[in-house]
Amino acid sequence: MRDKFLHAPEDLDPFATERPRLDDALSRRVNADPERLERGLAQLVLTVVELLRQLMERQALRRIDGGGLSEDEIERLGRTFMELDKRMEQLRTEFGLDAEDLNLNLGPLGNLL
Amino acid sequence: MIDLYAITDDPGPPLPDVADLSMVASHGLAVVCAPVAPSDGRELTPEVLWRHEEVVEALMEDRDLLPVRFGTRVEDETAAARALGERHDELARALDRVRGAVELSVRVMGEQPEEAPIPDDVTSGADYLRAKVRSAAAHEEVVKAVHDPLNADARASRELGASAPGELLRAAYLVDRGRVSAFVDHVTLIQAAQPELRLLCTGPWPPYSFTEA
Repeated sequence: MRDKFLHAPEDLDPFATERPRLDDALSRRVNADPERLERGLAQLVLTVVELLRQLMERQALRRIDGGGLSEDEIERLGRTFMELDKRMEQLRTEFGLDAEDLNLNLGPLGNLL
Repeated sequence: MIDLYAITDDPGPPLPDVADLSMVASHGLAVVCAPVAPSDGRELTPEVLWRHEEVVEALMEDRDLLPVRFGTRVEDETAAARALGERHDELARALDRVRGAVELSVRVMGEQPEEAPIPDDVTSGADYLRAKVRSAAAHEEVVKAVHDPLNADARASRELGASAPGELLRAAYLVDRGRVSAFVDHVTLIQAAQPELRLLCTGPWPPYSFTEA
């Protein structure tokens, strides 16, 4: 593998967090039960919800940047997005999905998220 | 059953001496395949993935190719030829797009990789959103400082989602074989100009991220 390093910093540790993901992906793939439509459906629904969540969040960030919101409004918005974020994470865990599973390849248009 | 490894041009250079490879050709295209090894059961391990990768990389040394997703198996060579025939034009166009090029991967870490973009203990909504603003701004800066200049050296690029805490950019670049060392020099220059970032560039890889339109 080392001969694949074309340019690498001295300290590689921060990059090494990948392994658990690979293991997860492998075990998930092996254990995947084709009969379980539920997970596929959940993946599709959560993908749409995640898209909307990200769009709304970006909109909120733009409004904060624009300076048109009071502190109270920012706090309320932030709390809402924080709760949504947590809830999404719970749902993902429940269905054994990770963030990358909630993305769609749209061919020539690139990725959805 | 046979494993499929890559789509290449037909005719092509002789096949490398790995994994009992053979070629199934159809109208100027060929799919490189090999019988599924008996030991290659259901166990899916990083080692098995690397073995697949080694075969594709041995092929890549002296030919252009579209890597086939690991685990793609068909019944026999007739089925392989049929699969190739059904998508001939699409595959020929895709092969043309990566002709003479390889994939290089670049990942960028920020200064404090242990710090998640959104600290876990945030309870204030305003702090949460401000942390989001900061992480979006950091990403944008890295795109400007790293991705944009590298993109100019590449035939194509794809930004892949960050997957580790502290990761600011993760992207794949399709680079002409003859320009790989210039690309790497450019990475080194960018690293020197941005000492607060950590850049990791790996490759050359088969063009995994550029097999589709």
